[in-house]
Amino acid sequence: MFVFLRKYQVPVSSCFCVFLSIYILTAAARGYLKSDPVGPTLLWVLRPLQVMSQTATGWIKGIQESYLTLEGYKVENERLRQKLIELEKERNRLMESEATNRRLQKLLEFRSQVPVGGITASIIAASASPWFKSCLLDKGSADGIRTGMAVVTPLGALGRVIELAPRTAKVLLIIDPNSGVDVVVQRTRARGIVSGSLENGPIMKYVKHSEDVQVGDRLVTSGLDGVYPRGMMVATVTTVRKQTVGLFQQIGVMPAVTLERTEHVLVVSAQQAQERK
Amino acid sequence: MRFSLLIFLVGLLMVLLQSTFLHLFPVVPDLVLILCVYWGLHQPTVGAVLGSFALGYSLDVVSSPILGLNAFAMSVVFLTVYLSSRSIWIYSPFASTLVVLLAALVKGAALVVAWAIFLTTEGFWTGAVRYIIMEALVAAVIAPLVFALLRRGQSYLENVRRPAQ
Repeated sequence: MFVFLRKYQVPVSSCFCVFLSIYILTAAARGYLKSDPVGPTLLWVLRPLQVMSQTATGWIKGIQESYLTLEGYKVENERLRQKLIELEKERNRLMESEATNRRLQKLLEFRSQVPVGGITASIIAASASPWFKSCLLDKGSADGIRTGMAVVTPLGALGRVIELAPRTAKVLLIIDPNSGVDVVVQRTRARGIVSGSLENGPIMKYVKHSEDVQVGDRLVTSGLDGVYPRGMMVATVTTVRKQTVGLFQQIGVMPAVTLERTEHVLVVSAQQAQERK
Repeated sequence: MRFSLLIFLVGLLMVLLQSTFLHLFPVVPDLVLILCVYWGLHQPTVGAVLGSFALGYSLDVVSSPILGLNAFAMSVVFLTVYLSSRSIWIYSPFASTLVVLLAALVKGAALVVAWAIFLTTEGFWTGAVRYIIMEALVAAVIAPLVFALLRRGQSYLENVRRPAQ
């Protein structure tokens, strides 16, 4: 037996890892995996590196946008271009400071409108796989964040916290196929669920044929799922199709908040919002 | 085992890049998949098995809504590549491209199976096919470069170790 294991150690250990991962998957899907022994440590190790990387990525994006309109390669143009680059760098630095100031000011004003206990955080990483829509925040359980709390911006809802480490929180975005936000159409109060889809982008589900939904309608949170505060902007309807078969309409939506344009967020609890009211 | 540990740290760096820098590009290449394929072909050890599992688990910790999904997929990829490596000679960029392309399809199939069993499948199938093909093509294109870098790193370490011995 020992000789067999020694001879086939690689395939045997490989099969063991496959079965172990199936076991972890089953336990996680059934909710038996209450605490992850390894994840928080890994997030703690990666966090400072992700913060640095995200800062550098933002800087690179800024430079890319600066160079986008540059043309020509003549000597005089080159000299003027160098001068322009130096001035652009200085201007971008000042504009970035001003834009950050404005965003934080908006967030501060928005924060006064949401329940006490909201926690500001920054996004430090996006999903490493295109199959999932998630992101990591630079605050965690040690900062007062709890699993299930809503993550929002002044423009609307972004997602909810699904996993925690002491200094990091993983957020499942509303455009993930495994996410679901209970919404109502602001105009007609028709109810549905906004969720992501790998096919054609986010959709609104379970809207009966009899409900009045039109392109351009705004979708806001109903507050009934106990996650998001009521009345928060979620998405705008972009397509409506009423098919002859099936109980529900097929509705495509565009989310109000996109990860690419978001840096700072607010983490809030819908329960605190209800208690305050 | 020491070399596998070093490669695992390189893998963690790849996880970091996939979650930050590489989002500057329209499609995020799956560097961790390429690393697991390289391990299965050129470093088939118990350390490599554990490293593939651990890197998949790391991807789950950073991105996935459910633990175990990528750990399962990377373990299956490693096992498949290892079992078929006995009959494959990978010493040309074209061969490494082809192997990584097929491994990406295996990974996609493993993710689809696990997703269908444990997660919601509404609005899933067409998008899944698109993602699998996109990931496979991007990974296959950059595989020769990543393989060359890993091979260079491996031979450098072996040269460093040899004089010490």
